[in-house]
Amino acid sequence: MKTVMADRRWIKDHADLGTGPVSTETCTSADFFERERDGIFRQLWLNMGREEELAEPGDYIVRDLAVANTSVLIVRGKDRKIRAFHNVCMHRGNRLVNGASGTCNKLLVCRFHSWAYDLQGQLQWVSDEANFYDIDKSNLGLRSIAVDTWEGFIFINLSSSPAQSLREYLGGLVQQIGGYPFQQHSLLCRYRIEEQANWKVILDAQNEVYHLPFLHIAYPDFCPLNEQKFSRIQSFKRFDRHTVYSVENNAEHQMTATEAIAARTFPGDGTLSPSMIGWFDFYTIFPNFCLIFLGGNYLTYNIWPVSVSSSVWEVSVYQPATDKPSERFAEEYARCRLRDLLQEDASNHEAIQASLNSGALAHFQLQDEEIQIRHFHKMVREHAEARGQSVLAAAGK
Amino acid sequence: MTRQLPSEFVDLESFLPWALPASVARNKKRLASSMEEIKSFYDAILPRADRILAYLDQYSVKEMPQDAAQLFRLMLALAEVSNAVELFHEPGVTDGCDPSRFVVVKERNP
Repeated sequence: MKTVMADRRWIKDHADLGTGPVSTETCTSADFFERERDGIFRQLWLNMGREEELAEPGDYIVRDLAVANTSVLIVRGKDRKIRAFHNVCMHRGNRLVNGASGTCNKLLVCRFHSWAYDLQGQLQWVSDEANFYDIDKSNLGLRSIAVDTWEGFIFINLSSSPAQSLREYLGGLVQQIGGYPFQQHSLLCRYRIEEQANWKVILDAQNEVYHLPFLHIAYPDFCPLNEQKFSRIQSFKRFDRHTVYSVENNAEHQMTATEAIAARTFPGDGTLSPSMIGWFDFYTIFPNFCLIFLGGNYLTYNIWPVSVSSSVWEVSVYQPATDKPSERFAEEYARCRLRDLLQEDASNHEAIQASLNSGALAHFQLQDEEIQIRHFHKMVREHAEARGQSVLAAAGK
Repeated sequence: MTRQLPSEFVDLESFLPWALPASVARNKKRLASSMEEIKSFYDAILPRADRILAYLDQYSVKEMPQDAAQLFRLMLALAEVSNAVELFHEPGVTDGCDPSRFVVVKERNP
């Protein structure tokens, strides 16, 4: 599929998204942030990482979710099943497991009074049990959280009764992405960047390529450009809440000297998975998970709100493992280039947030190549406002 | 004394301070260096890069002799500094955030 260079291409297929300005208040309002917390992050499926992080029975990871005021413990049981729990001891509420990951061979033991749970979350040991009154250990298992996996990605849902299964939630993405050889890739590196920016400011900045020839001016021809040297995406698709935009490989891209060496030695034969739409496919899996296919590899962003104006941006890069020196050089080149370009993005996110906090900008103006952002903000508003209305209704207002 | 680089590449020995074992350390050295220092390393190693990679590829990264391992680290340092020379024309990323804020929480190869 060739990139169409014409102007105002996408609104023709997505007229329901409108053409008006989009409010910035959702990125500065503490009240709106509370609605996002309740209507989005406590209701929808959230990516926690990949199954490879829990390769063996007893392996666990802990993810602290400030946006949900909770710590999530995800464990692979002896039956190899993955379970998720609130990381909270059922005695008096101490944080059960410290640290971000580990392996538990037998029981998960609370440091406070040594209550101990098995890998299925069942309470197995209460120290000084005879001195309690009427406790029933079978009713004091860890509080479980809905968890499911798709293509090796682990998702949780903090709702006590999720409205949809993970498969239903992902919908058409399952078919679109199915067949990608995720199992051939493993984590090359993961960066964690704490930013003074609303989570949507960070996500929006990645959810378009209009900025590439400008913000990344040292690397201006990553994607095809029209005659005026403005970028054009190849495809934009919506899957209910989720979207993907795709970019065609720019055959006219001028490689630098080192990039050319790395390109000759990069692992793989350059063949793209048939599941890919373009050369660069950027999926926004609502709300805060970006799955990005770039040439023969993929990377993910998990953008975690901390407060209305602060977030954590997690960048995970996945590539096939190799011990061939020339391939490792190419891998390191790609990693350094990504990190350098994302440094430009990170400082930009914080500059935007500082401006929004000043109140000087009431609305974002979005062009046709930023239609992804229009869709994303519509989804955010719908979920946050639906929740706000149900809260008001419950209060009888 | 064992030589520090394979004999074919001994002329690069003055650049051995770049042969650092971790990506974070290589990035720090890039930022602590002047553009002249970076450029002199880059100019020395770039024309040899294809030949160096062909030499290194007779080994696996896990089973390289010490002198080849040092040469390999010089190539990883080229991966680190090349953007400074080819894209930004200064050691750091123009208008970029401090790279130490990119905290490496996991990595397969340092």
